[in-house]
Amino acid sequence: MTISVRGIGWLTKEGYGCVRNGLLHRYEVREGVHTLPGKDIFSHPFKNFGRLDTISKMTAYAVSLALRDAGVEYSPQLKQDIGIVGTNAEGSLRSDIEYFRDYISAGRTLSRGNLFIYTLPSSPLGEAAIHFGLQGPLLYAVDESNALAGVLDMASEMILANEAPLMLAGKAEAEEALFFVIEQDRGMNRAVLCDLAEARSAVATIPDTAGLVRKFLQLHDGKA
Amino acid sequence: MKPVVVMAEMVTPYGTGTDACWNGLLAGKSVISRVERFKTAAFQSDYAGIIGGLRYHGQTSLVMQMLQSLFEGVVVPEDAKLLLATTKGEIDLLEQSMLRNRGDVSDAVISRLFNKVADLTGARGGGLVVSAACTSSAAAAAQAAAMIRNGHADCVLVVACDAVTEFIFSGFSTLSALDKRPARPFDRNRAGLNVGEAAAYVLLMSEERAVRENRAVLGTLAGWGLSDDANHMTGPSRESEGLILAIQKSLVSANIGPDDIGLIGAHGTGTVYNDQMEMRAFHAVFQNKERPVYSIKGGIGHTMGAAGLVEMIIALRALREQIVPPSVNLGEPDDDARGWASGQPHAVRERTLGLVTNAGFSGVNTALVVA
Repeated sequence: MTISVRGIGWLTKEGYGCVRNGLLHRYEVREGVHTLPGKDIFSHPFKNFGRLDTISKMTAYAVSLALRDAGVEYSPQLKQDIGIVGTNAEGSLRSDIEYFRDYISAGRTLSRGNLFIYTLPSSPLGEAAIHFGLQGPLLYAVDESNALAGVLDMASEMILANEAPLMLAGKAEAEEALFFVIEQDRGMNRAVLCDLAEARSAVATIPDTAGLVRKFLQLHDGKA
Repeated sequence: MKPVVVMAEMVTPYGTGTDACWNGLLAGKSVISRVERFKTAAFQSDYAGIIGGLRYHGQTSLVMQMLQSLFEGVVVPEDAKLLLATTKGEIDLLEQSMLRNRGDVSDAVISRLFNKVADLTGARGGGLVVSAACTSSAAAAAQAAAMIRNGHADCVLVVACDAVTEFIFSGFSTLSALDKRPARPFDRNRAGLNVGEAAAYVLLMSEERAVRENRAVLGTLAGWGLSDDANHMTGPSRESEGLILAIQKSLVSANIGPDDIGLIGAHGTGTVYNDQMEMRAFHAVFQNKERPVYSIKGGIGHTMGAAGLVEMIIALRALREQIVPPSVNLGEPDDDARGWASGQPHAVRERTLGLVTNAGFSGVNTALVVA
């Protein structure tokens, strides 16, 4: 069984976009990842987006762009058997610090539930699952070397084991994020970017997100 | 290739070893006790499942102390891949840094735990840390089995660990999730969960390699299903559709039907909503045909990321011994659990399969079929 990359959504310090559908937005002065108007990214209003932690926001942006690139329509009411596997370098460390600092400042007696829920590294994926109606497998995975390759491998194992027909796999850091949509290649001239082995090779050799985006844009242009 | 379990062990509040946990459960004994590790006066409860003899805020994190005791004298194949499952890993190191200015907060990043566990266990085949809230270790076991079934590995060590710390306890307290007494899963008067701590491991191999190495087979991970409710961050779905989907996927993965399942090791946290959600799913999948359901969390508390693996090992033991353990602390089953859950151990039919279910924050669900 061959697995293909059907779409990629990305955000860097310079801009955001999709690989296959040509969307490329470069930030103007005073614009950046933390000032993005959600309406430009999400096809449906994202309930309580402002209360999400930074990694959850970045995850949601990149997933939305990746689904758009793959031509997958969504709505919170429409639940689909799509899984999501995500990674990042520090897990929930920022949210851990924020939660525990708040708890200490309250005299170690009271804490805030809305901070505690983001102290799980899988919580940003959970927020994405709720908004995008993702009902497939959900997990966070990381190692100390190339975690993006690891989550691509894990998502591919899930497709091969028939755990979900379509998987999102990617990473979300505080200022950049990149998610792939991958699926079993069904042939029939279905439009895909490349096979997973090619993407896996790029991920294994190019460590930075901006470099990966350039590589995949070149790959797409070469095929266009 | 068929994934089989060739080694499995645990350390729980009952003590070191599966025997200690199994015998404690069969005796109907709860080891949930009052917490002395940190002050609990401001919290909703002062009960938790604590492992005796661990040093809090010492030189070594709680989970590493558990794992050191668990792997003492254990020889793991050097080529084993490692999947390490946890929710908060060494979060006590972050506490120490922020409360006592000892060490750095980044010492608590869970990826750092991977190399420590690889060094401790001798598993040198690479791998990942897996975190999926309270389904972490069940999800890791499922992925280990998928790697073997897909022919991408023939030996995977799944390690699970989580510890009771002030960070975690305060969080569950603020969510009003804790019972003021030892938890009573599936009981009519249940009022919440108790957090607990544990570490466990399972060594999965392809059946071919297990035979080649003349290994004793403890059981099979025959099927699995993972899903998400896509509904709410902390509360389970009121329709149970996520868990129903996970169970249905696990049955398809195992190539069996609902009638092949003879016992269910449930997540059974003791919260009103979780236990209700699970029973609704069991009624739906098994079409109201009763079968034994039990939870071990009245005995040891909710061991978070370690829960799935501990519960998988107990389910394998239950199948081998042909005994369904009691749900410790269950007095009067709730209406939906009557005829399914029991406070007494009883016999299970021969040649049956077990289902192990888990659920967690973000709406995650797992179902494992064990044989």
